[in-house]
Amino acid sequence: MSKEASLSVAEREFILEALRQDSRLDGRRADQFRPLNISFGEEYGHVKLELGKTRIIVRISSEVTKPRDDRPFDGLFNINLELSAMGSPAWENGRTNELEAYVTHVLDSVIRRSNALDTESLCILKGVSCWSIRADVHIIDYDGNITDAACIAIMTGLQHFRRPDAVVRDGQVVVYGVEERVPVALNITHKPLSITFNTFNEGHNVILDSTRKEEQASEGELVIGINNGGDVCFMSKFSGAPIDAMEVVTQSKVALDKVKEINAQIEKVMQTDLAKRAKKGMAEESRATNDREI
Amino acid sequence: MSAPLILLPGDEVLRDHLPSNNSNPLKLGPGLRLLSQPSSKSKAGNHVLTATQAGLVTTDAKRNTVSILSFSNRRYIPTVNDLVIAQIHHSSIDYFHCMVTPHTAHALLGQLSFEGATKKTRPMLKQGELVYARVLSIGVGAGAEVELTCVNPATGKSEPGGLGPLVGGMVFDVSTGMAARLLRASSSSSEQSDTIDGLTVVSELGKKLESLGGFELAVGRNGKVWVDCSNAGDSAIKATIAIGRCLQTTDEKNLNPADQKKLVTRTLREMNLAS
Repeated sequence: MSKEASLSVAEREFILEALRQDSRLDGRRADQFRPLNISFGEEYGHVKLELGKTRIIVRISSEVTKPRDDRPFDGLFNINLELSAMGSPAWENGRTNELEAYVTHVLDSVIRRSNALDTESLCILKGVSCWSIRADVHIIDYDGNITDAACIAIMTGLQHFRRPDAVVRDGQVVVYGVEERVPVALNITHKPLSITFNTFNEGHNVILDSTRKEEQASEGELVIGINNGGDVCFMSKFSGAPIDAMEVVTQSKVALDKVKEINAQIEKVMQTDLAKRAKKGMAEESRATNDREI
Repeated sequence: MSAPLILLPGDEVLRDHLPSNNSNPLKLGPGLRLLSQPSSKSKAGNHVLTATQAGLVTTDAKRNTVSILSFSNRRYIPTVNDLVIAQIHHSSIDYFHCMVTPHTAHALLGQLSFEGATKKTRPMLKQGELVYARVLSIGVGAGAEVELTCVNPATGKSEPGGLGPLVGGMVFDVSTGMAARLLRASSSSSEQSDTIDGLTVVSELGKKLESLGGFELAVGRNGKVWVDCSNAGDSAIKATIAIGRCLQTTDEKNLNPADQKKLVTRTLREMNLAS
């Protein structure tokens, strides 16, 4: 059973009729996201994200490897997404389904191919060693819109992650442990996020951040990847009913506002977390004075 | 009434907690099982009731029933006599194959198990339509087929009333515990349900939405609530959404009666339905 359970006739018709009257099941406006909650784990680059009932964990990790032969100056960056039975009973472990291929493609295009992470900065020694950054995405609970949620989580993870410091000494690569040297933040060139629009009723209704039920009742989907500067780095209309060209232009403006809003939120939670870490981090541990017993 | 009794699976239900009038046979609700105890010498006490689920023992003296009010979980396990909202998946010659919970084996609903159904007058249900049905049998052992019915085979009537196809309206998902509470609240007298379950959201909604023409609710033990406000005319959709949101929020946040009242007022105001 690799398919989500289909909607009942009553549900589908009700969702469509409600949208015709500009109401959604959870009382949101058409261009409103569900409450977004981002928190961090113990280590750098461990992000837990909740978007309504959709829950995602992203883990960024790094290791030193050999760069590809054709790109000796570039480091490696990979995004790994696997839909496991944890997220939804419709997904089977170890079997790729359409949704997985689709979401992976979108994430890859929006984040990796738009060079959000500067891979050249990951090079340690030309043609010999470089950093390989890996983003693992785990869907813990599925209630629609995993593309946007995963995108937000990965971008937050990349900004939060700190890799160990590495230097080249006499042709030898030396990697310092996190205790020896302050770990380094990744070089983020821009902050693109994907925004998914779902269309209903022959394109009359366009909504953001659909839930699972809304996704199932939807007739088409438009994904726009855009950054704070308003550069569109990805746009796709894979399937479903056609969308008016003007609609795409107006919606990319909506997407830009949304991306700015979400990026501001990411920035805020990042700063609070990093401030908290700074208090008990390296400075505290490298204190020379002993605790005195009185 | 005696103090609340909470049981764990395997615990025995003590005799003094059972309804006392013994004229009618005692009816067992979900979460309980009758086991015989062969070793006991006296003939009277050779049967014991044991709980199969953790929860609160609830009794209804009027209808002579005893059941376990379980905690809120998402998984529904069919029990005989439960009312459920099922979705037709496909139909075959004798049966409609229905989905009670997604991604589990289909339950069977006889083509003729509707009130007044004959070969010619039976309802022609299509895929995705909803029925309000009672669990007739759950079979024995793992993988056994669950059978549903919309009619009482003894009387030929749809008992309790309202069983049969559900047309229009909207289905909202709630936890199974919430569904059980809603069903209990509807079956017992209102003051009793207030004190035991603290569930005032439905009666509150009823009061506030009366001017709009009221609404219909069908609660399935499988964690589904069907809401229909077709009497409300233009504001039918908004009223339905408001009811669904109130029920789901009450369920998720486990609100107490005072907060439920506030929630209803707030939600109705947000949806511009306040009268």
